[in-house]
Amino acid sequence: MAIKKFVVGCFDDEQVLFPAVKNVRKAGYRIHDVYTPMPIHGLDAAMGLRDTSLHTAGFIYGIAGTTTAFSFITWVFTTDWPMNIGGKPFFSLPAWIPIMFELTVLFSAVGMVLTFCYLCQLAPFVKKDHFHLRATDDLFVMAIECTDKTNETEVSQFLSNIGAIDVTTQYKETGWWLGRYDKETQLFGKPTEAVS
Amino acid sequence: MALLKYESQVRPPLVVGDKDYHQVTEDICRPVEARPSTLWWIGFIISVLMLLFGVVSVTREVWFGTGQWNLNKTVGWGWDITNFVWWVGIGHAGTLISAILLLFRQGWRTGVNRAAEAMTIFAVMCAGQFPIFHMGRVWNAFFTLPYPNTRGPLWVNFNSPLLWDVFAISTYFTVSLLFWYAGLLPDLATLRDRAKEKWRKMFYGITAFGWTGSTKHWQRHEALSLVLAGLATPLVLSVHTIVSFDFATSVIPGWHTTIFPPYFVAGAIFSGFAMVQTLLLVTRKVLNLQQYITIEHIEVMNKVIVLTGSIVGIAYLTELFMAWYSGVKYEWFAFEQNRVNLSSPYGWSYYIMMGCNVLSPQIFWFRKMRRNLYVTFFMSILVNIGMWFERFVIIVTSLYRDYLPSSWSTYYSPTIWEVGFYIGTFGLFFTCYFLFAKFFPVIAAAEIKHILKKSGDNYKEQMTVVEEESVDQFVHDTAH
Amino acid sequence: MTIREQYVIPKKYNMLSMVLMAIGLLSIIILFITHGSKSGAENEVVRARFWAALLQNSVYFLLVTNAAMFFICATTLMWGGWQVSFRRVTEAISACVPVIGIITFVILMAIVFGGDHVIYHWTDAEHVQHDPILLGKSGFLNKTFFTVWTLITLIGWSWLGYKIRSMSRAIDDTKLTVEEGRKYMWDNTVWSGVYVVLFGLTVMSCTPWFWLMSIDAHWYSTMYSWYTFASTFVAGIALITLFVVFLKNNNYLELTNREHLHSLGIMLFAFSIFWTYLWFDQFMLIWYANIPEETIYFKSRLQGPYRGIFFLMLIINFLAPILLLMTRSAKRNYGTMTMLCVLILFGHWLDFFQMVMPGPLTDPNTKLTHVPFMLADFGIALGFVGLIMFVTVRSLAKWPLIAKNNPFLKESIIHHT
Repeated sequence: MAIKKFVVGCFDDEQVLFPAVKNVRKAGYRIHDVYTPMPIHGLDAAMGLRDTSLHTAGFIYGIAGTTTAFSFITWVFTTDWPMNIGGKPFFSLPAWIPIMFELTVLFSAVGMVLTFCYLCQLAPFVKKDHFHLRATDDLFVMAIECTDKTNETEVSQFLSNIGAIDVTTQYKETGWWLGRYDKETQLFGKPTEAVS
Repeated sequence: MALLKYESQVRPPLVVGDKDYHQVTEDICRPVEARPSTLWWIGFIISVLMLLFGVVSVTREVWFGTGQWNLNKTVGWGWDITNFVWWVGIGHAGTLISAILLLFRQGWRTGVNRAAEAMTIFAVMCAGQFPIFHMGRVWNAFFTLPYPNTRGPLWVNFNSPLLWDVFAISTYFTVSLLFWYAGLLPDLATLRDRAKEKWRKMFYGITAFGWTGSTKHWQRHEALSLVLAGLATPLVLSVHTIVSFDFATSVIPGWHTTIFPPYFVAGAIFSGFAMVQTLLLVTRKVLNLQQYITIEHIEVMNKVIVLTGSIVGIAYLTELFMAWYSGVKYEWFAFEQNRVNLSSPYGWSYYIMMGCNVLSPQIFWFRKMRRNLYVTFFMSILVNIGMWFERFVIIVTSLYRDYLPSSWSTYYSPTIWEVGFYIGTFGLFFTCYFLFAKFFPVIAAAEIKHILKKSGDNYKEQMTVVEEESVDQFVHDTAH
Repeated sequence: MTIREQYVIPKKYNMLSMVLMAIGLLSIIILFITHGSKSGAENEVVRARFWAALLQNSVYFLLVTNAAMFFICATTLMWGGWQVSFRRVTEAISACVPVIGIITFVILMAIVFGGDHVIYHWTDAEHVQHDPILLGKSGFLNKTFFTVWTLITLIGWSWLGYKIRSMSRAIDDTKLTVEEGRKYMWDNTVWSGVYVVLFGLTVMSCTPWFWLMSIDAHWYSTMYSWYTFASTFVAGIALITLFVVFLKNNNYLELTNREHLHSLGIMLFAFSIFWTYLWFDQFMLIWYANIPEETIYFKSRLQGPYRGIFFLMLIINFLAPILLLMTRSAKRNYGTMTMLCVLILFGHWLDFFQMVMPGPLTDPNTKLTHVPFMLADFGIALGFVGLIMFVTVRSLAKWPLIAKNNPFLKESIIHHT
């Protein structure tokens, strides 16, 4: 959690955005993030993000579900309280497949969604700073993080040159805090001076 | 400049009306941001009244017991289980559209998936009511959960298909809800960022979970959607399969047949698509979304209906044939005397089922019919009636004449409270759907934007250049 | 990049397919000498061993090659674009249907009209008179209906397959405008629809009942035909993948790449699970209801001598694909995919083996069945593999390898999984 200074460029066409991302990275600027209204295939690779391993997590949760169902039912029907049901053996594996399958899917899906929410810090009453309100409408918003050495005007100029239709400098909180979007819940230590 | 996205011009556009990204947002958010129309209020109030009637019916059933229903000693499952299976069946199209069609790369799903998924969730909610209240002592419903208890501890019967149902339906509901909501997040964020009123900012601020549209989040979101689709595909099959196990694991003539699982699934898809048609034909008209749910969407869903209807037809004939072929006289009696025989007490229901499910959808072999909205609407209702009768035929005609001819005379017809319960679930379903259509975007805006530059009519026109290129030239161009 | 449109059959490949066919022929001859040629009524069971081997192999490979045409029609009906870059491969495989169809027809007719009744009990008119169950079925299970339906099936598949293949070739020299493209797709959709209807009436209903289920003439299962369909469709996808990989290795099919392999892998994975699903449904429902008329089928398979084959087939057809094809990288790996395709083709062949064999090999006196020495069966299977290799490449070499005027070819080129 820290408040940082960003140069923010907005693009309105993904065909301009892709080369822009490439150029910004080549020029050595650090892209904080690109906010888009819809998923853009290949943008993560262009930005140099590593692949997500959410699938692997899902697989592990799934296996956990299968194991839970199988071991629990086995314990119940062979050890804890064996019951003769329709003359079937106590260990009636074919009859347990449906529940084992359902729990596999349930564990995997719920686990993955929770992991997803945790990784992306998504939850009700979570509030985050936004760079541009139209990032969820029709603009692709690229935020470049400024360090002490960064020359803002140079970066702004650079973004304009590669096709940004709107360039601003903003101080933004990078983390999240609890709050509501209809209230101005100020985070402690947030600078109140206007961005020059 | 090489095009980022290409799609053959032979395919009809999926978004028409010269849209750009912003226009898509506007079109989809407008109905949510506008004040509800009179039509909406009328529909909503009627739904709530129906729901209230259902509440009264169910209250009577809980208060006085299942004696309020006309179930008798052979027909122990009647309207309630028929309705249960019917609603669960309807609840299949949503996940099918979003999951299986995602894996099969059917672009047209983007226009209809959100509404279909919502429909799924509401239909499963309705379905769940029936077995729960069928238990009679509904306050003991939690006995179906395997928790350490003071009854022995006597666990639930994991070998029983009825318990599999508990797991299947609750898993299906949970996963469908998660899948639907995960898809909703970006659109809710759009509504939040557009909101002017305070309550909207609060409501969409809370429900959008703080979604920003970060690339990393999108990457994870895509991965999540894909895996959830992969999970939901076998799940959607498993749910109706397990419902079919309720019947097929038994030794009741007419129920015990191995084709039941896939045939129930096909039937569920069939009725689910019919219900999607019913809802979307109205929705697109009322909310002015004809440019996103085009006639092409309607046509392709009609194709699914004729396909699944025919599969169901093959299954009907297969089980009829096998009843004869097996040489089991009880099995054949159930079919020959209780179903096919038109002069038997319930013979009429078999023919309604055959007529509505197998014969009538065949008119969708004709292109004119598939593209006719009135025919489509009429057919979608007819199919749902037919599919209701399918479950009625399976349940009642197999039960009303059991192995003891002395108990054959009872003719089962529902009481008003049984019917009221059914009407009540309609009320619940439509109340939820009206609220959904009012407060949530009925079309997945982010997904439409994702396919817009590929399937939008204005962008497709620009592809003529690519279309006329030679294959070698095309390969050369796209190599970079 | 230049696209090699003309396939030239390599000499070595030709040689290999000939050798395989020779092995097949030799196995048939050997099996004929050891079993098929034994005369006398007491040797009926011995002769059945020979005919059952032919029946199992011919029907299996016929259904597998026919699955290629179903693949074309199903993808056409769904307006799929991705498979167009290797469409000619699927077309070429489906060209085997008439050839194997004739072989199958001869074998089926020989079994039905040959005078022996071990495989199809219901052909024994005298026995049927004393068997009330078979007597009740004789309206369906009779030689006339069997022959007529077999003919309808085989001629229908061959003719519609030919029709759909020639429609694809007819546009090889004419570049289509968008309007013509729509017309082309419309015609294709119509004919694919006709094919799928025929497919539904044959593979998904009567045909497997006649050819396979009537071996255990008393036994019945409504699922049987759908199950047979799933089994051969998975194997069909595996066969398509093998040919695609083979051509890629020989530097053909430049427009097909890992993305297409990945999609094929997804289909292989998905339909393996689908097959397992149908298998489980059929098995579990019979196991659960525990009705003797039905469980008898699994008696020799699950608890009898076929136990080993039964579980081996389950491992190959279910566990192997689900575990090995789970990851993205495995589906994009030519080596893994090739190995799995071979395995799956073999696994479903084993499945057919345990579907066909237990009945004919049952000793009429002891009522016990046994697993035969399988070497000759493998030989015959290799012979059919050789035949498929031989016929498929001849069809491939006759026409351009790329359906270059198909309206969806460009979509297939940029296909991205």
